[in-house]
Amino acid sequence: MTASDSFPASALLDVYRNTLKIKTVDEGLRRLIMSGAIHPVFHPPTGQEIVAASMGAVLEPSDYLCTIYRGLHDQVAKGMPMKLIVAEYFMKTTGACKGKGGAMHLTHPASGVMVTTGVVGSSMPIANGLAWASQIKGDGRVSVACFGDGASNIGAFHESLNLAAVWKLPTIFLCQNNRYAECTTYEDATSSKTVAERAAAYGPNMVGVTVDGNDAREMWTAMRDAVARARAGDGPTLLEANTFRFSGHYFGDQDPYIPKEEKEAEKAKDSIGRLRQQVLDSGVATEADLDALKAQFEAEFEEAVEFARASPDPGLDEIYKDIYGAA
Amino acid sequence: MSTEVRIPSIGFSTQEGTLAEWLVADGEPVEAGQLLYTLELDKSVQEVESPASGTLRIIAPAGEVYDIGALIAEIV
Repeated sequence: MTASDSFPASALLDVYRNTLKIKTVDEGLRRLIMSGAIHPVFHPPTGQEIVAASMGAVLEPSDYLCTIYRGLHDQVAKGMPMKLIVAEYFMKTTGACKGKGGAMHLTHPASGVMVTTGVVGSSMPIANGLAWASQIKGDGRVSVACFGDGASNIGAFHESLNLAAVWKLPTIFLCQNNRYAECTTYEDATSSKTVAERAAAYGPNMVGVTVDGNDAREMWTAMRDAVARARAGDGPTLLEANTFRFSGHYFGDQDPYIPKEEKEAEKAKDSIGRLRQQVLDSGVATEADLDALKAQFEAEFEEAVEFARASPDPGLDEIYKDIYGAA
Repeated sequence: MSTEVRIPSIGFSTQEGTLAEWLVADGEPVEAGQLLYTLELDKSVQEVESPASGTLRIIAPAGEVYDIGALIAEIV
């Protein structure tokens, strides 16, 4: 596969914009949780922003995304409106899932967020189904399945990669490798040195790539190549984005299993600060532009909070709606 | 507009927490992000930041156990 090195300044700015938006929503929700305003089971994406930001910068609005419960960054980057996200965290009827899905199940087909699943490993077969539909209809869409390093050891990973390769599906398997499957280290539970090298087991139709997911240039370029390959009908890609999470598995988990030195070393990399500097160095935006962007997202978030607070709770008459099976 | 400070729900099984200590005195100014109080949960002690800037109005005294969601202060 040919990987061009060209990374236009406009793409750099797109990645930074998405990153900033994700950071605003993540930090805003943390504040709301810590002030006792909302009570979600929250799996923070803090540290993995640039992976999703790059994905969102490459995908078209009509492309499909299937993500997992650590998916806030993916949902924001895919263009899900802040209001619908925040109102769902407040469990209000105006939320993306009418207040009945909550933080772990945010879904919004209009933005291409087809499912957020709480079942580890289950984003992949669903993405394949959507990709198959696109292949049959010839609509040119690609499907992205996000999952973690832990999910690469689930049976559905193998089944999905195998079938995607056999049918040359336009699926991008985006493994966000944050080194910890809940509280188990990558090395303790994974047989191969990288997740991406497993692609070789699925024959020539599957490509495996490992990148530094917190480096915008590497991540955006790899994503662009994977999407181009899928759209051209050349088959799926297993894209492994190495990243890190700065929080515990869930909000409140004090992560004693992550060595302090490891976390400090990651913090010292200051991936988002470096990205901001790259944007400034490229000349595509000034400090004032980026500050204005931050203020704009913060205002949008506050507006979303007001919207959510003013919205009604779902009534009891909603309890048997939107479910399969008779009451 | 005032901002409520309530006992947060952090973690899966938390039902209540002990408000161990106020780190800012009643009536003092606080900044958003400033450490406001310490909260003892089942297996951890957390320092909780102020959600807003303003003046702290303490409602609930330290040293007591409160349910998740209990109103403990306002920032006015």
